[in-house]
Amino acid sequence: MIFLFYILITFCIIVLQTAVVPLFFTTRGFYDLLIPFVVYAGFFRPLAEGLSLIVLLGLIMDCLSASPFGLYITVYVWLYAGARWLIRFLHAHSGVVIFFTVAVGVLFENVLWLLTITFLGGMEIISFSVIVNGVSRQVLWALFTGPFFLFGYMQIPRLMKR
Amino acid sequence: MVIANIVILSITSRRHHSASSPGPVLIGIVAPFQEGATRSIHFTGDIWRHYFSLVSVARENDNLRQALARAVQENNMQRETTLTNQRLRSLINFTKTISDKQVAAEVIGLDPSFWFRSVTINKGKLDGVLKGMPVVIPDGIVGQIAKVSGHYAMVLLAIDRNSAVDAFVQDSRARGIIKGNSSEQYRFKYVLRKNDVQVGDTIISSGMDGVFPKGIRIGHVTDIVRRNSGIFQEVTVTPDVDFEKLEEVLIILTPPQGSFPEAK
Repeated sequence: MIFLFYILITFCIIVLQTAVVPLFFTTRGFYDLLIPFVVYAGFFRPLAEGLSLIVLLGLIMDCLSASPFGLYITVYVWLYAGARWLIRFLHAHSGVVIFFTVAVGVLFENVLWLLTITFLGGMEIISFSVIVNGVSRQVLWALFTGPFFLFGYMQIPRLMKR
Repeated sequence: MVIANIVILSITSRRHHSASSPGPVLIGIVAPFQEGATRSIHFTGDIWRHYFSLVSVARENDNLRQALARAVQENNMQRETTLTNQRLRSLINFTKTISDKQVAAEVIGLDPSFWFRSVTINKGKLDGVLKGMPVVIPDGIVGQIAKVSGHYAMVLLAIDRNSAVDAFVQDSRARGIIKGNSSEQYRFKYVLRKNDVQVGDTIISSGMDGVFPKGIRIGHVTDIVRRNSGIFQEVTVTPDVDFEKLEEVLIILTPPQGSFPEAK
């Protein structure tokens, strides 16, 4: 039941970030809104449930994007693995962890994308200022809004129990 | 008693306007109180009336605000309709310049990633759209169909790093490849140093790539770098299409020549 609920929520987020957010952020500076969910799944959901959901999300995003197929799945799985690794050392409910992880996740996603672009030989045509502007804007947005998303996801199991 | 009273009244009535009568004094004493009382009553009356009138004014104000909001909304809708009408008219005029069959589509979604550029449109296989077909608007080239489903398709924008369009300078006919770089400008690559290219020159499609028809606008030259070494010059082109404001596009229903097997 909760799995279907997560699918519904993430589907709404995908629609939000592909059809609604671009109407308000025409300069394309907003971050991937599924990153908070991937971090949440890594921190708080069981392995089988979290991983299957993450792969499904990556698949949907790969189909909707012009990026090389599999890039989103790769990013999400690595991010998920990173989040699971992180909670072996840190307390997932800690305010500092919640505050920074989404921003770090966004940074990680961008680094992985840029590495892929470099590997595909397209880096020569991206100017340094575009990279700095694009990444810093996304990370800042993630820093200030990401914790709210993460906190919202953390309330879902409680709401479902009621 | 009655007779005495009548006599007194007849005497006093004759002295009605006498200055020595106590009337003016008494009036002078009483009148200020009367005035005070009257003003107080008027003041209270005014407050009472104004309170009610304020209530009614507030209600009227609310009604007027609602009416204004409705009018503004209607005005916006009419303005939007006018703009849509203008865009569609220019699209219709543009279709007359293209000999091939086309289908109009609406942009319904944008690429979720920052580094890749594509849009989703509401026309697909069932509308005759195939992978590789060119997508244009009156301002110029938009991109190419990259993925198709039954009713929807994904357009790889010409500004994406994976896009390339064979093009030439409209005046000098200097030829090169327009390459996207996911920012707001194209690179016009493989233009020979000996070719004459000037800032402001218009770049159009050459039709040699087998995808885009010849002569469709792409952009205009905004920067040229000619290095001492090398056989090519580095040309930056600013697109004529505003990719952030795409709403309606035209898909030219001509299968590309040989690029995609499924298009055949």
